[in-house]
Amino acid sequence: MSEKIVVTSIGIISALGQGKNAHVSAFRTQQSGLRHPKHLKSKYADEFVLGEVRLSNDELSELVGLPTGDNGYTRTTLLALAAVQDIVNDAGLAILQSEPTAFINANTVGGMCTVENMYMEFIAPTAPEEYLKYIDTLDCAESTQRITEHFGLNAFSATVSTACSSSANAFIFGARLIKHGIVKRAICGGCDSLSRFTLNGFHSLKNVDKTPSKPFDQNRLGLNLGEGAGYVLLETESSAKERGAHIIAEFSGYYNSNDAYHPTAPSPDGAGAYRTMQKAMEMAGIQPEDISYINAHGTATQSNDSAEGKAIENLFGSNAPYFSSTKPFVGHTLAAAGSLEAIFSMYAMEEQMIIPNLNFETRMEELNISPVASLIENVALKHVLSNSFGFGGNNVSLVFSKP
Amino acid sequence: MEDLKLTLKQQIIDSLNLQGMKPEDIDDNAPLFGEGLGLDSIDSLELMVLLERNYGIKIEDAREGRKILQSVQSMAEYIQEHKKVS
Amino acid sequence: MKQVLYIKSASAISPQHTFYPEQFLEPLVNSDDNKLRVIDIDYSKYISPVAIRRMSRLLKMGISSGMQSLKDAGISQPDGIITGTSHGSKKDMEQFVQDLIVLKEEALNPTYFIQSTYNSVNGWLAMQSKSTGYNQTYVHRGASFELALFDAWLMLQDAKRPEYYLVGGFDELTDNYFVIKSKIDYWKKENIDSLSLLEHSDTPGTIAGEGAAFFVATNDEKDALCAVPSIKMLQDPDAATIRKTLAELLEENGIAMADIDVLLCGMNGDASTQDIYTPITESIDTKTTIATFKQLCGEYETTTSFALWLACQLITRQEIPEAIVHKKGSTNSIKYILLCNHSVFRNVSLTLVKAVK
Repeated sequence: MSEKIVVTSIGIISALGQGKNAHVSAFRTQQSGLRHPKHLKSKYADEFVLGEVRLSNDELSELVGLPTGDNGYTRTTLLALAAVQDIVNDAGLAILQSEPTAFINANTVGGMCTVENMYMEFIAPTAPEEYLKYIDTLDCAESTQRITEHFGLNAFSATVSTACSSSANAFIFGARLIKHGIVKRAICGGCDSLSRFTLNGFHSLKNVDKTPSKPFDQNRLGLNLGEGAGYVLLETESSAKERGAHIIAEFSGYYNSNDAYHPTAPSPDGAGAYRTMQKAMEMAGIQPEDISYINAHGTATQSNDSAEGKAIENLFGSNAPYFSSTKPFVGHTLAAAGSLEAIFSMYAMEEQMIIPNLNFETRMEELNISPVASLIENVALKHVLSNSFGFGGNNVSLVFSKP
Repeated sequence: MEDLKLTLKQQIIDSLNLQGMKPEDIDDNAPLFGEGLGLDSIDSLELMVLLERNYGIKIEDAREGRKILQSVQSMAEYIQEHKKVS
Repeated sequence: MKQVLYIKSASAISPQHTFYPEQFLEPLVNSDDNKLRVIDIDYSKYISPVAIRRMSRLLKMGISSGMQSLKDAGISQPDGIITGTSHGSKKDMEQFVQDLIVLKEEALNPTYFIQSTYNSVNGWLAMQSKSTGYNQTYVHRGASFELALFDAWLMLQDAKRPEYYLVGGFDELTDNYFVIKSKIDYWKKENIDSLSLLEHSDTPGTIAGEGAAFFVATNDEKDALCAVPSIKMLQDPDAATIRKTLAELLEENGIAMADIDVLLCGMNGDASTQDIYTPITESIDTKTTIATFKQLCGEYETTTSFALWLACQLITRQEIPEAIVHKKGSTNSIKYILLCNHSVFRNVSLTLVKAVK
């Protein structure tokens, strides 16, 4: 019987701000962080609402103690540094450096936010000297390597990229490393920043809503993109108790499986989502009726919400637990989505609240269930489930339980 | 209209890289999706890109797009009605 | 007792003749423009016409070598698919970002965007093999493939029955990538004959390559090609750390340097990274053959996958082709191969490969 894995620190930054208070007060006041972007320079800036982090690159640089201006750091890396810094400040660098701590990062588009503005110069015969420091920033591991160097976390690092389920997979890998004694602790999560590449990419798929998205609504038009970074510190229960760390939640169950159906669309009957949720609960040793809240993937695309909604209904029956998508608050943050939403689920459990599914008006015709449309307080939450379903049929469900 | 349909068929073949196919292999009224040519949702998006790049026609809604893209005939009719004069 | 990882099959698409067993590195292929590109195979044998028409080279390479590896292992539905790639489908990403800029964010092809996601090969392999199991992609530079193999090993520790994981590594070379990285001196300044790469180890830079290699990794020893008892990954280690890790690897396996029959090194002709191999080569026994492989496949971040394929061939064929010999040893049989590799980002790995028969 392997030891329980618990969450002892959280670092998070999104369109709602940084840290727990900023997020929980936004959930309580039901105030979305979506807006027309001020930092992303796209021709669609005035047309689309996005979950943009309010801080500029200079402000983020200052936050993490880096020089401002053209410092060679991409926005993706700056967001990740800001979030990991909160964990390091909370847990203490000494413990993270003295005992093996893994850093498992997730990312989908690396430094594209920066590189897309210099790409033509990169492929031209010569590039301006000041651009050369960004040539190696495009790939996903750039942020990972910067963070391990910045904080001196050298024991074990990895970068995962499985589209929208990336950081949920990072959580799983971190937990497994601890269970097998490879490391003592793991900082797991993901980051992604807004870019014209992803905005136009999803726009070309015609599943982006220019106005705030309406997950699980009959009249939903698609997703809003967002950016952010979210990380948690995982360790065994005994390791947490040994150093007197506050235990936020138990990471009690998880499952990764593949739809094996289509490059981007889920199996329409939700079979993949069904299996993933079921197996995650099985691992946690709980029944469907033990789940108090589901943080759905809920991107507000036609295909995801239909498949996921059916899966929830089939698995939980007419007594489905409270469920909501929190994407209308921060947008779809791609690689960071899994970790941000897992963190939101844990906040919900700590605060005994159900985060509302903003903008919901009309139940989907093919479903008998609806998400929670407005805030509910004073709900005893014991076990929560967080879903992340990515391109390539990559499905992940995570279960967190009250300690 | 006939010229347009012929051009359109070649553009579809090129855009979707339907290797080994020629315009005469595509029937005007054959369904492009499902049975018939068996194209999928990503192909329908690519055909919407074709309409935008070659004919200046922008389709925002994927579902509306599927109706227009039912066959070469329906596409040609839509183009004739909506083509932006360049 | 930790479960050992066995390799049941290995398949590689590379700049050399590696895909068809009867053509093992014959004839040798070289280039004189500092680029080594794969020899394309008949991808249509592995991918349906409907699917293949949109696919990038990387997708075709990855899917084909993955499916062949499954076929060779006699496994139709693996328990999981785990891959590593540093840059994924570069060509698709390049096309999308260029169009984005040139067409000013109008009328962009979704296909390039979708295929540029790093786990697109995984998704296709899962669909083709109907594998609904564990599916993961690592994008960690020079440790991408090592992490995939390590993850498979970790999965096998929990296996309660024979389990089979499809594990692969792949990266592609594009003209744009070559131009871009030349600006920060990745490549040799002068054009060299690729096969003579190691003779140019006194100057900086290397040559560019690409490839895809897949394996079926299992806890089932039956009919295995070889075993991989140890995988060690280091990030920018100093010489002392490399020596210490090497010593740990030998001790864990109850062997000494003298037991290593072949040292298969990722030396790539770049003077600035030769030092990585010194702590290993300095302690090598005289009977050990030192072999190199990047003159065959070029440099890219997942070359360990090519090297592992090569190690499987050396063990099953019990021969060391002249083309890879850097310093001839006197070993009579090949039981242990120590594979050591590095990447431009100074990811260093030490992998032990062992004969099982």
